[in-house]
Amino acid sequence: MHFLYFFKVYVRMMCTAKKCGIRFQPPAIILIYENEMKGKSRQRIMPVRNFSKFSDCNRAAEQLKNNPRHKNYLEQVSLRQLEKLFSFLRGYLWGQSLAETMEQIQRETTIDPEEDLNKLDDKELAKRKSIMDELFEKNQKKKDDPNFIYDIEVEFPQDEQLQSCGWDTESADEF
Amino acid sequence: MASDKAKPCELNQEKYDADDNVKIICLGDSAVGKSKLMERFLMDGFRPQQLSTYALTLYKHTATVDGKTVLVDFWDTAGQERFQSMHASYYHKAHACIMVFDVQRKVTYKNLSTWYTELREFRPEIPCIVVANKIDADIKMTQRSFNFARKFSLPLYFVSAADGTNVVKLFNDAIRLAVSYKHNSRDFMDEVLQELENFDLEQKEEEVPDRVQRGNIESPSPS
Ligand SMILES: Nc1nc2c(ncn2[C@@H]2O[C@H](COP(=O)(O)OP(=O)(O)OP(=O)(O)O)[C@@H](O)[C@H]2O)c(=O)[nH]1
Ligand SMILES: [Mg+2]
Repeated sequence: MHFLYFFKVYVRMMCTAKKCGIRFQPPAIILIYENEMKGKSRQRIMPVRNFSKFSDCNRAAEQLKNNPRHKNYLEQVSLRQLEKLFSFLRGYLWGQSLAETMEQIQRETTIDPEEDLNKLDDKELAKRKSIMDELFEKNQKKKDDPNFIYDIEVEFPQDEQLQSCGWDTESADEF
Repeated sequence: MASDKAKPCELNQEKYDADDNVKIICLGDSAVGKSKLMERFLMDGFRPQQLSTYALTLYKHTATVDGKTVLVDFWDTAGQERFQSMHASYYHKAHACIMVFDVQRKVTYKNLSTWYTELREFRPEIPCIVVANKIDADIKMTQRSFNFARKFSLPLYFVSAADGTNVVKLFNDAIRLAVSYKHNSRDFMDEVLQELENFDLEQKEEEVPDRVQRGNIESPSPS
């Protein structure tokens, strides 16, 4: 028991993730990490099992991240990064080119500013909102933050010299 | 479906005639951050009442304006498509409007004109604040001019529901505007009614024109 506990701490302190990638054949997530004590790069190969072209990348990423054998090594690798790697694998299983998969990932993880979200159904709208949530959460000042201020006022004067937002049309009757 | 559409009218809106009650509505495209703004303002203190069938959420809030307690109902709607089925009752008796767009998405700014036209059809006079949300995502947008607000002489607020910039100010100012609109429009209508009565009395001996009589009875009740 003592030994196991020690091992966990050892890994947590001594291993810095450097790179994380995916191998298609046979499928595996590969982590390059540095063992600080020895200053040496090491490789960890985590085989991907039971993953088909119909699998859910988000769930696969979660499962791997919570896998007791790997979770200490993957602490510094985010769920979103892992999910993206699984998306590459899935694209490969569908026979897509790398460029096609990249494009698809891009589409699924960014907001198209031209898209009219009013027309989407609940599910699609929720997807877009969860993409937006990433930035929202990053910039969010939470109530339990020690330097949280409820009422923050900042003045942004709208005087004449300001550059136009670029969204107004030239003609006078339109804005 | 038809009966569904009629239902929101059963929401009791009589209370908004009471002196200490105001109704403030939120408008704007899907995902501009209307609900996040509400939640940031009310923090834990909010008790939303979800009327999901009508895509409507009511947030109740108690404010103090010039030493007087004011009961505020914020009306928040989701998803424009479903909103279509209830808009008349949504605007009914509203005292102020908060109209939001997303500084990261041009379409939401362009659509302000549609929202604004509809607002003015139902509520020609109520105060309206234009809100540029998500400035945390692109702070440069606060250094830009937005003609829509200028064209209709509407106040423009730069806010972020994420980091909280100007959110509390926005809502407190909206409440203030709603309260003052309510009192001023009431005074104004009282005056008009008064004059109609005087007019009535003066003309008693002569034939009272039918038109005026009817005008008096049918004049929309102030709210
Ligand atoms: N970066 C940033 N993101 C925001 C901000 N406010 C809202 N968001 C993001 O925008 C998404 C949509 O916000 P909502 O509050 O759900 O938008 P809404 O206007 O209520 O949308 P509907 O109810 O669908 O009409 C949220 O999931 C957040 O991720 C903000 O101030 N900054
Ligand atoms: Mg909402």
